[in-house]
Amino acid sequence: MTEIELLSWARGPGLQIATIIFVAGVVIRIFEIFLLGRKANLAEAKGGEMSNGLRTMITRTVPDRTTFKRSSVTIVSGYIFHIGLFIVCFLSAPHILFLKDVIGFGWPSLPTPVIDAFAVVTIIALLATLVNRLTNKVMRYLTNFEDLLTWFITFLPVVTGYIAFHRIGMTAPTLLAVHILSVELLMIIFPFTKLMHAFTLFIARWYNGAISGYRGVAS
Amino acid sequence: MSASLDKGINAFKRQIDSSVAAFFSSCVHCGLCAEACLFYTETGDPKRTPINKTEPLRRIWKSEYTLFGRVGKMLGLTKKVDDKFLEEWQELVYDSCTLCGRCSMVCPVGNDIALMIRKTREGMAAAGQAPEGLIGATNRSVTIGSPMGVKWPALRAQIKHVEEDSGLKIPVDVEDVEYMLLLSSMEIMNFPEFIEAVAKIFDKAGATWTISSEAFEATNSGIQIGVSDIAAELVQRIVDVADKLRVKTVISPECGHAYMAIRWDGPNLVGKPFNFKVRHILEVMDDLRQQDRLKIATKESQKLTYHDPCQISRRGGVIDEPRRLIDMIADDFVEMPDGGKMNWCCGAGGGVSANERADEIRLKVFERKKAQLDEVKPDAIISACSNCRIHLEDGLEEYNMDIPLLSLTETIAEHLAED
Amino acid sequence: MTDINNEAHFRRELESLDDLQQRRVAALFVNHVLSLGTDKRLERVVKTASDEDATMEELAAALKLAHAVTFDSHARCGAEGHWDDQAGYFVARAAVAAVTLPDHSRAGGPAWQAAMSARMAHTSMLIDDDTDQHSAHTECEWQYQCLSDYLKA
Repeated sequence: MTEIELLSWARGPGLQIATIIFVAGVVIRIFEIFLLGRKANLAEAKGGEMSNGLRTMITRTVPDRTTFKRSSVTIVSGYIFHIGLFIVCFLSAPHILFLKDVIGFGWPSLPTPVIDAFAVVTIIALLATLVNRLTNKVMRYLTNFEDLLTWFITFLPVVTGYIAFHRIGMTAPTLLAVHILSVELLMIIFPFTKLMHAFTLFIARWYNGAISGYRGVAS
Repeated sequence: MSASLDKGINAFKRQIDSSVAAFFSSCVHCGLCAEACLFYTETGDPKRTPINKTEPLRRIWKSEYTLFGRVGKMLGLTKKVDDKFLEEWQELVYDSCTLCGRCSMVCPVGNDIALMIRKTREGMAAAGQAPEGLIGATNRSVTIGSPMGVKWPALRAQIKHVEEDSGLKIPVDVEDVEYMLLLSSMEIMNFPEFIEAVAKIFDKAGATWTISSEAFEATNSGIQIGVSDIAAELVQRIVDVADKLRVKTVISPECGHAYMAIRWDGPNLVGKPFNFKVRHILEVMDDLRQQDRLKIATKESQKLTYHDPCQISRRGGVIDEPRRLIDMIADDFVEMPDGGKMNWCCGAGGGVSANERADEIRLKVFERKKAQLDEVKPDAIISACSNCRIHLEDGLEEYNMDIPLLSLTETIAEHLAED
Repeated sequence: MTDINNEAHFRRELESLDDLQQRRVAALFVNHVLSLGTDKRLERVVKTASDEDATMEELAAALKLAHAVTFDSHARCGAEGHWDDQAGYFVARAAVAAVTLPDHSRAGGPAWQAAMSARMAHTSMLIDDDTDQHSAHTECEWQYQCLSDYLKA
């Protein structure tokens, strides 16, 4: 297979397969959650469920002071790579162009040097999270194969994207194919792993806020 | 209560609902919950990480309620839940957790981990993996009516003593009153002056109330051990009597888990809303305060701080009421660091103090509370849970700290105006 | 002075005693129920409480000891409660009251608190005794008499 054929496959059938598995997988996982249902609360309410659920969805983003002091490395490195990923994924020109093809519209991008800087920062932050995961006593105890796998498939697209953009090592088409394939790898493994938290955390936070809010506590 | 692994697994399954599924789906193994849990922070043992305590429930969820998990199970790829594994987890689920709920407040993805551990206990208990002390307490609750074996004649003797002491009559089995007071065995045995305090407050406030000779026990061992059927039976006894006497409000005394059991779990356990309200004694006193029926004559001059009982405060919603009451009787009040809904657990609730095997760890984790007190240096600590009080006293004694524990209800009663 | 035969009078007289008198009367109350408890350490506490020359250090040490006995004897939450053991807990509480400084004492003063706890110790012994014949009042009556005798002396 020539490098052009590889790239065409990655952009074509590869992307289609990955998208189907991703979308179907995410939908199934979310459906499985709601299918289980939850019994209504028969106790006399002290606060509202919906309003508190919605509030916690947002406020849980901000850790309290004591928690932040005790886990600052985990929190800071985590936030940096999440924000970096978001910026690199959705505010870089080539990605916006690609998305425009898919969904029909685009939006303004950030200048290349800025994206570049965020990509580097994201890579460093991701490496920091890996080191943290392997050295922090609690994380080391909790960490399993899935944690390492998901780290890897998240790390790969950022690094291969950076390399492809800067044309380091291989020819442009190959580098691009590798980057796209790495994203497709992420997409097909995503629904089987904790990466689902990207969607389910909103559900979990809502339940948390609703349950506590019912009892009159803002969680 | 015959137990078996099969019963356990079925019990685990029954506990899984959409919230549990959302929680397990979202956990990213970040470890923040560990730093919120005093059983981890004071021991440094990572196996005590809160989310780790739910592993039995997680395995069942994965292999039974997720498509991929079920596929994995068919391929023999799932982690097993057997007696050996559950036995290993007993110490984590019971000895190392008071269901305090701090973990649920800090999890970044929003998991209510304390709820998940509570649910895990249902499976553990059904599989026969609950600690000795708790099983005894639960059996006594069911057969005698009190986890500590306190029967009506004992309470009646305490009541007689209180009547002689105070000159007030304690109403028993009176119908159509505003309030029916429940009592925990701990109060009846160790702090009978609580009854006197309530009698004085109600007398001055002109409130009508009663104690029931048929259902006076507030403590619910079913909740602590994690057997909802038993918890429901214990609640039903109270419901039956409250309906019979046609009381308007049932009062939960100074006991943490009792409040959670009757106020929040109660109707869900028995499957019906109550015909009466349920309020904690602190809420009742705050109501009286708002209605100007609580007249205070004197104040405490010593430096006071408040220990929030977890099940009343963070998990129960009664956070501001005690502070408004303390405001009435304190000239010098100072909050502990993290005071309020993020306060640290005393380390003894949720069945931990009933479990002798957990004595050592219970005293060890007290160091977290000690650290808070070292910063505040109060003259006395006020709280509203008999178990917290006894355990804090125990811990303070162990560490040679001379700080008296006061009950908020008793302190209010002491400062009431004599008209 | 007429003999004491009601609560109000009893309490008034107790509260009018000075610090040393309170301590010694409290010691008398505790001593009367000492046999209901099994912890011998309380004997030392009572001895210190009755000693008119007891120093602040000795009182502090006695208080610590009495507290220790309460922690060892109280009923644990959820554990099976034994009322005769509980009597020992209340005896210890009475001892705590006896050696607590009046400033730190709960309402009514050390002697009143010691009296109440001593009565509770007596009541505890009667609880598992299924006859409902006796009441804590017999302890009460003994305490009235004890105080009357003390005041006359």
